[in-house]
Amino acid sequence: MALHLNLLHEEISEQRQRQRDPLKIGMMVLAGIGAVLFLYYMWNAYRTLEIKGRLSAVQAEWAKVEPKIVAAQKKSEELNGTISTTRVLDEMIANRFYWAPFMDRVARCVAPNTQLTGIEGGIGDDKMVHVSLEGVAAGREPRAAAEDLRQLVLEQLGKSYTDVKVEFKTLEDLDTIVNVAGASMPMARFVLTVSLNSPKAASAAATPAPARKKKS
Amino acid sequence: MKKISLTKKFSKDQIQKMALSVIGFFILLYVYFSFFLGPLNRSRNSMLVTIADLQGKMASSKTDLLKVKNLEQQASDATTRFAALQALSPEGAPIAWFPPRIKSFFANQNIDKANVRLDTSEAFSQPELSGWLNDSWSIDIPETDFATIGNAIANLENSEPLISITKLGIHASAAEPQYQQVTMALATTLVKR
Repeated sequence: MALHLNLLHEEISEQRQRQRDPLKIGMMVLAGIGAVLFLYYMWNAYRTLEIKGRLSAVQAEWAKVEPKIVAAQKKSEELNGTISTTRVLDEMIANRFYWAPFMDRVARCVAPNTQLTGIEGGIGDDKMVHVSLEGVAAGREPRAAAEDLRQLVLEQLGKSYTDVKVEFKTLEDLDTIVNVAGASMPMARFVLTVSLNSPKAASAAATPAPARKKKS
Repeated sequence: MKKISLTKKFSKDQIQKMALSVIGFFILLYVYFSFFLGPLNRSRNSMLVTIADLQGKMASSKTDLLKVKNLEQQASDATTRFAALQALSPEGAPIAWFPPRIKSFFANQNIDKANVRLDTSEAFSQPELSGWLNDSWSIDIPETDFATIGNAIANLENSEPLISITKLGIHASAAEPQYQQVTMALATTLVKR
């Protein structure tokens, strides 16, 4: 049986020891993982750069569109403001009380034996029109003449206005005698209070303002 | 048992080096995720959000542009009318131009004398009329007759849509009963200059 002598035993074991050095192995493993992580990082960085490119393109496109959008939004606000202001102004114009037709109707009610000496009227906070008609009436029965005028005013105004009320505030006989168509007649002084609503104002108060149609 | 086998297999120095390697590994992972990959991902995500946001804005902007075009077409009547109503208020302070204009108007209606004065000038409460002023004026006409003032009022109401008569008083003149004295209160809607 041959005898084997390993004279390099110590050197070989040292070399094996060096090869099995955990720090060295660990460093190699770390380096390997580091390389993988680096590659993964690079892959992510590439994707990020690609997205950055897309972002730049989208931003450039937006930069072209944005001034148009801002101008369009401003224009839209302006137009909506104009439309709503015009609508409010038109409502105000439509809901005005026209005094000329009222005066015309009252003037037509005045018979030759009555005379209006004063008209005082105004529009109240409730949008009702309140008018005071002051005058004198002459006739065999001057109070009846004044009552005729009241009824005629009520009838005539009722044709054009709503919620018409015509009432005597005062009605008193006067001592004065006047000559009407050759006959001497006693006189009465009266004050009529008239309250009424113009048809448009009445309908506006009864129904809420219609909502604007949605534009498709 | 395991500890014994580990100490048998590796020396103390080797175990220390392995521990060092493990610590190094975790430090590497921490640095990698905290200082490299994390910020990169955050930046990418924020860019994706920005892209989505901008694309959404651009999509809605196209419909907005279309809406504005339609609105422009539909608002043409209102725009014309608005311009016409604005044109009823000349440049300058109303106190400077309104009384002469009313005097001239009544002069054209055969009413020679009309005193016009400004009572109040205030803003409207409606937000739509923020650019407009609500002025109240008093008009005294010392001498006219019923038919003339009736025609004048009719013409005023027809020609001046932004003027509204809020009070009217007609009284027989004491000196000459065939004539009437007229007082009026007007409310005007004028552009704020």
